[in-house]
Amino acid sequence: MTQRWTATGLSQDLPKAVAMAGHWQGHDLAVWRSASGRLQAWNDRCPHRGMRLSHGFVRGETLACIYHGWVYGADGGCKHIPAHPALTPPATIRVAAFACVEQDGVIWVAPAETVGAPVALRGLQPLRSISLTCDVVAVRLAEPALSGDDVLRGLVQIGGQACEVCLLVQHGASGLTLHALCAVGADRIAASRWLEDLRRRAERKGAA
Amino acid sequence: MIAPEVMNEWYPVAMAAQICAGQRRVTQLLGQPITVHVQDGVIVVTGQAGPLHVTEAFGHVWACPGTPAHPLFPIPEALETGRRLVDVGVVRVKCSPLRAVENFLDIAHFPFVHTDVLGAEPHTEVNRYEVQIREDSDEVWATKVTFYQPQAAKSAEGGIVTQYMYRVPAPTAAVLYKTCPARPDAWDVIGIFVQPLSEELCDVWPWMALYDDATPQAELIAFQQMIFLQDRSILENQIPRLLPLDPGMEIPTQADLTSIAYRRWLKKRGLTYGAQMVAA
Amino acid sequence: MIRLYDYVLSASCYKIRLMAALLCVKLEHEAVDFHPGRAHKSAAFAQLNPAGTLPVLVDGDLILTESTAMLVYLAQLSGRDWLGPCDPKSAAQVQHWLAFSGRLAASLGMARLHDMLLYEGDIDAWRAQGHAALRELEAALSERRFAGGVWLVGDAPSIADIACFPNVALSQDGGVSLDAYPSVRLWTRAIRALDRFVEMPGIHRLHELRPAPEVA
Ligand SMILES: N[C@H](CCC(=O)N[C@@H](CS)C(=O)NCC(=O)O)C(=O)O
Ligand code: FES
Ligand SMILES: [Fe+2]
Repeated sequence: MTQRWTATGLSQDLPKAVAMAGHWQGHDLAVWRSASGRLQAWNDRCPHRGMRLSHGFVRGETLACIYHGWVYGADGGCKHIPAHPALTPPATIRVAAFACVEQDGVIWVAPAETVGAPVALRGLQPLRSISLTCDVVAVRLAEPALSGDDVLRGLVQIGGQACEVCLLVQHGASGLTLHALCAVGADRIAASRWLEDLRRRAERKGAA
Repeated sequence: MIAPEVMNEWYPVAMAAQICAGQRRVTQLLGQPITVHVQDGVIVVTGQAGPLHVTEAFGHVWACPGTPAHPLFPIPEALETGRRLVDVGVVRVKCSPLRAVENFLDIAHFPFVHTDVLGAEPHTEVNRYEVQIREDSDEVWATKVTFYQPQAAKSAEGGIVTQYMYRVPAPTAAVLYKTCPARPDAWDVIGIFVQPLSEELCDVWPWMALYDDATPQAELIAFQQMIFLQDRSILENQIPRLLPLDPGMEIPTQADLTSIAYRRWLKKRGLTYGAQMVAA
Repeated sequence: MIRLYDYVLSASCYKIRLMAALLCVKLEHEAVDFHPGRAHKSAAFAQLNPAGTLPVLVDGDLILTESTAMLVYLAQLSGRDWLGPCDPKSAAQVQHWLAFSGRLAASLGMARLHDMLLYEGDIDAWRAQGHAALRELEAALSERRFAGGVWLVGDAPSIADIACFPNVALSQDGGVSLDAYPSVRLWTRAIRALDRFVEMPGIHRLHELRPAPEVA
């Protein structure tokens, strides 16, 4: 069931002790990395009063909600309620977790019970994540060397040289996000400019 | 169809001073277009089906789109001599009007959202306080609320333990009474009046009645706008946008007694505009 | 003392408050009732700034009404560390971002005033222009990161970063999410983590910079 894994970001964009918003097929997630580097993807909703946990803050191995500071430990259980410092929170206060793995510099998410690993991307390095207002068809029209649906791959011309690229597709409410990788050793500035150009061409196709 | 219980309540729709100065406010109430303006020397609020009931109080214009179930609630302190009445102006928030009121009743967020002003770690504890629904006025009241505050008001110098009382006199209005730094024997009064544009969008009008002769008006307004705009980014990021009245949907603690009472009171009275009844 | 005519919710005023805090320059603040009073449009205020905009910075007989000029002034007074490197290329890049900050104010800034304070105008156009500007910023910051950089120009934060930061960090207030701009997000975090950083409403404190209080 490898297709259940969705790329929701690049490792380089989530340093230690940072939280960010992620998505799995319309589910909003809080994806965060602890101070020691441990990665987690949770339902993006604090059980207390519904605040997005992706706006929260990481201290050590815990994620705290920005609204009232409730602290959640690595297992998703509430460890501390600042309004009641002496209270041990009941074990029933828990944030639902998704499966989250990091592989080839990509952060992948899937429902908790998912087994298996995401697709392997050997020989590639992470480039950038970008969003587009068009669909995948328009991207392939703009760059016929790319093929695939959820994983677009191909050999494209970057700065006069053939370069292997891979674009991991994430569908969102207002369009696409592409998590781009390029061949190890490729000039990433040139590749980034190619990607910008691809977006302009694809969005023009998409709008036509 | 909006429930008659909702239609028969009073809602703030404009700042009176702005309308009296000749402004015409084209806006919305409970999802319907309305216009607030002066006609032949009186303030009128017109909806699609004609004029609405109108009253003016606490610097604002209030309208009732149905048949008023009761007169608008009083704030007796507004009439006391020596108080400065401050209209803070409108702020639009993409949230349920009920979430905006509930946030106003909450103190546990002060250290994290109003850091170094209304609260600061490690002073996060919320002591037990008393909550009741007053039978005579049918209002939610919280009393004996205390909290440590680094800068409780524009006029405060240094941290103090502030005393609070909270009051919900209407579904989309709340009033608080807090320690007045300039006059220990009196309370400062702060209100938020929330205009429900729709179930998920509101215009919020903070308002104050303070004992403070020293602080310039612009600074009093700036202080209250600073506080409320810190809340706005929270309110726009709560999920769901509607206020859940199903007790299983969110998990309160003892610090949330006011919010629990407010939700029960809304449910009991059928004031469910902006609320979510069943878990989605 | 330098005097700032200030409004707490103004992103342009915040540029100056933030710069002054980072430079340890003390300002005298004069709160202007921008909303709801529209005092910046009064006849009295026009004597100070005929354009009727905030902020205004006054130092003796110097009156500045453009926030980018105020950044240059404060940074010049304070030892030049924040002016960016002075080689021709870097100096030009700093000017680029100072001008670019005007585009952010005209797009993201207006979207915010629309959504928050009910300013009238074409919200879809403001948001679209805001996204266009954020794409340019994201591309530039990504290239800086590939080269090992963090800041817009050079190896240290400069007035270029401070000029662009407020309207970007507040973009959510106008309904523009930064979710699609990871390099921009990391750059705003780097600014928020600076020593002596001050926040404004809409930009929360990074509570993680301080350890959790001991539980009694
Ligand atoms: N001169 C510009 C003005 C900045 C600006 O647009 N300020 C807003 C407040 S954030 C303002 O005064 N708007 C009133 C208006 O444009 O009429 C600057 O200093 O950057
Ligand atoms: S909503 Fe998260 S701690 Fe209250
Ligand atoms: Fe608040």
